[in-house]
Amino acid sequence: MEAADEALMAAYSGGDAAAFDVLYARHRGALFRFVLRAVKSRALAEELYQDVWIRVIEARHGYAPTARFATWLYTIAHHRLVDHWRRHELVLAGEEQAAELAAGPASDPARRAEAREALERFARALEALPHAQREAFLLHQEAGLTALEIAAVTGSETEAVKSRLRYAVAKLKAATDHG
Amino acid sequence: MADHDDDLEVSRRYRELGPEEPPPALDARILAEARRAAQTRPAPLVPPTGRRRWYFPVAAAAVIVLAVAVTAQIEREQRPDAEALPPSAPPVETKKESAAPPAAPPKLAPRRPAAKPAEPQPGPAAPAAEMADKRAADAAAAGAPAAAARAPMQASNLAKVQSPEAELERIAQLRRDGKDDEADAALKEFRRRYPDFKIPEEMLRRVERR
Repeated sequence: MEAADEALMAAYSGGDAAAFDVLYARHRGALFRFVLRAVKSRALAEELYQDVWIRVIEARHGYAPTARFATWLYTIAHHRLVDHWRRHELVLAGEEQAAELAAGPASDPARRAEAREALERFARALEALPHAQREAFLLHQEAGLTALEIAAVTGSETEAVKSRLRYAVAKLKAATDHG
Repeated sequence: MADHDDDLEVSRRYRELGPEEPPPALDARILAEARRAAQTRPAPLVPPTGRRRWYFPVAAAAVIVLAVAVTAQIEREQRPDAEALPPSAPPVETKKESAAPPAAPPKLAPRRPAAKPAEPQPGPAAPAAEMADKRAADAAAAGAPAAAARAPMQASNLAKVQSPEAELERIAQLRRDGKDDEADAALKEFRRRYPDFKIPEEMLRRVERR
């Protein structure tokens, strides 16, 4: 049976470096995509992503498993993103990046172009979402957090989070259908 | 939450964006930092045991002894002042002086010359003044500037209140200034207060109304 995230973090707080390796492997992909799609610049995302983990490492002795580890991790990430957004205006990525994201193998050139176009629309729609909606959507998709947990991470009301998720999904759905 | 089907479709589309991951070099940096941090553990906050277990009681006793010694020293410095002052002496005045801001003490300025004549005069105030001055010097030597500053002021007050000579000088001054009524009242009060004091002939001429 796999050790729970909370137990691994507690073990790491006690000096077990191997526990961190397991924890890191579990969350690295989702956290990276969450940050990357929140800021839409790979270099910046890498910098912020590293900062989040460094904060986790520094805060290890203060960690108390009162909530899910994922909630704690994404709360740290949320605060780091808010710091970033306060300092920098959000710059929307161009179509080039969306196309890059959408690249994938397909046998039929026409269908491949169509799929790529649809994905580009989706990527642009995601980028165009307001901060709060995009963050709620990404927390739901990448971290698997519930509306209640997203509310805890972002310091918002649960109803507000549900509303953000509804709007985000509706806009993304419209972008997918449109075409 | 959004409609379930929409949610699934959007999730599926979202997954198509690709499973981007951090570069291996970044992973390596973070894991190395985590390992380095795990090796540097903070000092444990446990009480000493074995041969060192007397550390805490001794430290606590040392703190208590020091606190008692400091309190006793402060009390010793303050007690003579209280004893030297007569019951009628206005302690509020002393308090006001010490509480007044050092930059602009308008009430203090004219008071200092009044105490001056008392210094060379023999009499009951002189030992008290000397004692106060000595205390001031001691306090200054012991690194207590506040106490040192307070002591001369108290000596002045003592001289002003207790020295008959100084009081006669004050009455003589009133007489010279032509404040005869005030001088008469002061002389009357002087005789009431010091019934056995024999006013020298020369001083008598200066303080009595002619």
